[in-house]
Amino acid sequence: MFQSPKTPLAVLAGVGVLVALSACDSTGSASGPAGAGGPIKVEASDTSCAVAANTANAGNLTFEITNKGSKVTEFYLYAEGDRIMGEVENIAPGLNRRLIVEVPDAGKYQTACKPGMVGNGIRGDFTVTGGAAKQNDVNAQKSEATKSYATYVANNTSALETETAKFVDTVKAGKVDEAKAQYATTRAYYERIEPVAEKFGDLDPLIDVREADLTPGQQFTGFHRLEKDLWVTGLKPDSGQVADKLLTDVKDLVTKTKTLQLTALDLANGAKGLLDEVATGKITGEEETFSHTDLWDFQANVDGSKGAIAALRPILQERDPALVSTLDKQFANVQALLDKTRSGDGFKYYNQLSPDEIKAFASAVDALSEPLSKVAEVVSK
Amino acid sequence: MVFSSALIGLREGLEAALVVSILVAFLVKTDRRHALRYVWPGVAAAVLLSIAVGAILTYSTAQLSFEHQELLGGSLSIVAVGFVTAMIFWMRKASRHIAAELRGKMENALNVGPAAVLLLSFLAVGREGLETAVFFYSAVQTAQSDTIQPLIGFVIGIVLAVALAYLLYRGAVRFNLAKFFTVTGVLLVFVAAGVLGYGLHDLQEAGFLPGLTTLAFDASNVLPETSWYGALLKGVLNYSQQTTVVQAVAWVAYVVIVLPLFLKPTKKTVPAPAAAAVKE
Repeated sequence: MFQSPKTPLAVLAGVGVLVALSACDSTGSASGPAGAGGPIKVEASDTSCAVAANTANAGNLTFEITNKGSKVTEFYLYAEGDRIMGEVENIAPGLNRRLIVEVPDAGKYQTACKPGMVGNGIRGDFTVTGGAAKQNDVNAQKSEATKSYATYVANNTSALETETAKFVDTVKAGKVDEAKAQYATTRAYYERIEPVAEKFGDLDPLIDVREADLTPGQQFTGFHRLEKDLWVTGLKPDSGQVADKLLTDVKDLVTKTKTLQLTALDLANGAKGLLDEVATGKITGEEETFSHTDLWDFQANVDGSKGAIAALRPILQERDPALVSTLDKQFANVQALLDKTRSGDGFKYYNQLSPDEIKAFASAVDALSEPLSKVAEVVSK
Repeated sequence: MVFSSALIGLREGLEAALVVSILVAFLVKTDRRHALRYVWPGVAAAVLLSIAVGAILTYSTAQLSFEHQELLGGSLSIVAVGFVTAMIFWMRKASRHIAAELRGKMENALNVGPAAVLLLSFLAVGREGLETAVFFYSAVQTAQSDTIQPLIGFVIGIVLAVALAYLLYRGAVRFNLAKFFTVTGVLLVFVAAGVLGYGLHDLQEAGFLPGLTTLAFDASNVLPETSWYGALLKGVLNYSQQTTVVQAVAWVAYVVIVLPLFLKPTKKTVPAPAAAAVKE
């Protein structure tokens, strides 16, 4: 006979605590770590500790340890300062044991096998990335990036509006030489933010269409129409109207960009898009076919690409530091070539470039395009 | 493979088997066989619970976090120490009454009995039961997919632990009563000290207590846990090859306080064979 009802109750309480604890610590996923594709295999021997992966995303990590050695071993996951995140003891030779450990925070960790259950074990570095808390950080980083790029765009569009107004006035005043001098510098502001401008499929052609690309029935307007007037045909009776129309379109564009919501991916694609512009238009001399001021556009495209990358820099630095240093190197390389062709306040005209110089540009731009094409992938990770 | 798994089974099984066998021996010696019916439910409950929770942890998505596991193990250890300590003094008290042949008084002295007996056997088995059960399932899974050797070794180890405990029981029952109490009591003092140290170490591992890396000594090379004698020592006395200062201090303190108290001569200690007349 029980002396008191407390005894079975105590046993029951013990059971209850255990079940409650297991329930508390339950995970929703049966297949190991979230998004990590099953357990991380660890092959332990008396002298080695081969962990199949040395990085994982934060969350529940599952290690599957197989002891191929002759000694009983243990497996530990340590946080910094040797704080034990999880351990499995008694991994007898030949045995497979699982360690499921919740790692909520990204950071540097260490794995350890302890053959013979002795000493500090065979350590290996293990990096945990991402994590719930970090996800917010990523979103914060991305919105920081788009915000800082939006500022860059705003600065350029307002300058574009001011400079276009001046340029239009000069054209309307019939001052051809002055207008010629203003042409390339004004366009630079447009070329820097071209990917943004291209988001407005109706405005971009009005402002920036090339004669060679005109579709039948399309009116030749915008910068390049005035370019032709200034350099080739001389100002025409409707040049003033075209100039006014250009200013209206530019103002329209500036207003519209203010409400544009860009994503970090847009920035990444834009940075790459600008280099494609360089490769397809500027290096070939097709963009400024009358004025030959292609290098001004080239410089502006590179600046714009740099601007987008600068905004994304914190994200890239964290996720792929190697890519950042490659980009820096290739940007510097392209810039060095451009600097070589400087003349006065601007650059050499395209028709003054030697075939070798053009070839050097082409290969430098290719070398920069390659890492730029990886940015989108890194950003959308 | 078989050997090292056997050692693990022996080590994990020994402590529980030992405490239970001393308990049983005591009840048998003092002619309290009826109390045995409290021992087996306690043992059975602990075994079943360990097996059930082990199965849940092995075959479902539920899991115990490391902290919870260690907290549970550590707390259970410290509770178990309390019970073993109570049992030590209960035996001592009881032995005095037995020596005086005061059966009626002994009933009173033992009224802590059933609850203590049941819970003690439950705790003794349950404390290491969870880890042992999880190990057992791993061995089973390995046996299904790879090799049956660890499972065989583990079973051998458990059987060996039970056999050793049974031998101890047989041996213990042969002692005369006074000696039996002294020997088993002293053994239990050391067992409890070891359990206390082990429980504190669990709490250190879980980060509830500091000083995990502050070692009192490291006998990994001299007396490794992987050797058969190391495993025996660990199983019986919860010896650990790397003992933290907290563990060592607790162990020494416990032994220094409890052992003299236990061995302090009681009034009217009479050798058991010289039995006094029964007073009605």
